[in-house]
Amino acid sequence: MEAISVKKLSVAYENNFIIDNMNLSIPKGEISIIIGANGCGKSTLLKTIARIIKPKNGDIFINNKNIKNQKEKHIATQVAFLPQGPICPSGITVKELVSYGRFPHQKMMGGLNSHDKEIIEWAIQETGLKDFADREIENLSGGQRQRAWIAMTLAQETDIIMLDEPTTYLDMSYQLEVLEILEKLNKKKNITVVIVLHELNNACRFASNIIGLKQGKIICKGIPKDVINEANLKEMYGIDVKLQLSENGKYPICIEYELLRG
Amino acid sequence: MKKRNFKIIIVILSSLLLLSLILYLSWGSYKISPLDIIKTIFGEGTKLQKSALLNLRVPRMLVGISVGIALSTAGALLQTITKNELADSGIIGINAGAAVAAVIFISLKTANYYSELGYLSIYVLPSMAIMGAGVSAAVIYFLSSRNKVRPKRLLLIGLGINTGLNAFITFFTFRGGVSDYNRVLIWISGSLWGSGWNYAKIITPLVALMFILVLLNHKKLDVLNLSDEHAICLVLNLNKERKKFLTFAAILAGTATAFAGNIGFIGLISPHIARKLVGPYHKNFLVISAVMSAVIILVADSLSRNLFSPIEIPVGITISILGVPYFIYLMMKEK
Repeated sequence: MEAISVKKLSVAYENNFIIDNMNLSIPKGEISIIIGANGCGKSTLLKTIARIIKPKNGDIFINNKNIKNQKEKHIATQVAFLPQGPICPSGITVKELVSYGRFPHQKMMGGLNSHDKEIIEWAIQETGLKDFADREIENLSGGQRQRAWIAMTLAQETDIIMLDEPTTYLDMSYQLEVLEILEKLNKKKNITVVIVLHELNNACRFASNIIGLKQGKIICKGIPKDVINEANLKEMYGIDVKLQLSENGKYPICIEYELLRG
Repeated sequence: MKKRNFKIIIVILSSLLLLSLILYLSWGSYKISPLDIIKTIFGEGTKLQKSALLNLRVPRMLVGISVGIALSTAGALLQTITKNELADSGIIGINAGAAVAAVIFISLKTANYYSELGYLSIYVLPSMAIMGAGVSAAVIYFLSSRNKVRPKRLLLIGLGINTGLNAFITFFTFRGGVSDYNRVLIWISGSLWGSGWNYAKIITPLVALMFILVLLNHKKLDVLNLSDEHAICLVLNLNKERKKFLTFAAILAGTATAFAGNIGFIGLISPHIARKLVGPYHKNFLVISAVMSAVIILVADSLSRNLFSPIEIPVGITISILGVPYFIYLMMKEK
């Protein structure tokens, strides 16, 4: 089963093609992590699926339906997207922020109904922010803040969530915290998770499906253990890496790397 | 900041509003005690009390409150649209647009316009001012919407337009001769002088209606506060909503300017204080900002009328004199 698939997708800024004729399918119920060098089109891909950028050509299917033929509101109840570096209105509390996620479900008039409130409670609970619900976002730590944004994304009540570099600027423990929450949601609720990530070892550890991009083209795709190898990393980043398997033998770890000279 | 309690703040502000209402209605060259105010409103006061209160102070109070609410709500809308707390209809040229329309209208000859237009004349100046505000807002939007609207560009273009329009107003005032000059000057400074029932019965329902319309849109305004990308994901048609809220702001600011001239600063300071008190959730802060602006304008106009009595100073000047130091104090306190 496919959660998202793109067919012959081309995306360009002005005449500069970032993604050229891409075909990709993202499986349902798995954690797919997209990696690649800066400017390879990772974020552009997610933004295009999230309708922020209009593609030049090609089609995008969500739950096997072309998004061109659907109401935007309907799409927003199937896939939620957390952009990179989201702007937080100053002085807002966790609960207020999370309630924004209910916007696509709400009518213009009237407040939050009991179902809305339940979902907000649930999202706050799942991200471990219960004790901070009435705190202002600005007074939280980086990790808590990122969890609040994830809670808002969850409150959109979709079975697919996409996150653009959710761990950037977080220290090692916060990075793990965020990814573990996403893993738990994937396991417990069978939510399809799509993440753009820079940290290779975390990507290999958490992904059940890893997608490597270079200049808008797919270099490799599959289980990390199978596709993350010296040759592919050299192709994607232009680096010479030393890999070994993790202690439990399930995923590869990059232990050191050098730039390729010349 | 401490945990905010919306209810407590509402109670405190309501009592402040009540106090300023009493101050406004009782203080004047003819003083009326609070008890007499109640008596007069229920039809028992003396003839003098009735005429001072019902014919002069109450309508002026209604106009004042409406102007305050209109400007603070317009300011709040613009601050959300531009994602910048410095935006205000007085700063980005919307008030100036209304003022230019009104100044042109005044100078185009006022002598026989009252007799020609009869009782409809009272509607003409406000309509002209709203149109002026609308044209100015439309120009700002159009100029800043190449490719897509960028909040920062909108603000900067507004600043430019404002400077241009103000130069135009100054030019017209100089050309107009002494008597026109004084009239325009008082009006530009922002004054509630001479606001009677004929003003109140137009501006009060209009502002009430617009305020309710804005309040009904509070969720969309909240989402506009997020990044543009985020708002699109949550299915907000950014351009359509920006245009709509800019129109609302133009109507509100244009109306206020038509009746009270260019009262600056209140549109900047009321939303700012409200946000400090209850946070940026529009449903709460728009209401608090409206009450705040009513309190500010009532106190300021009481001072304007009485401090140098029998000479009256324009309320816009009082607001600036009192507001600026307080505003700077707030800024310096900020983390």
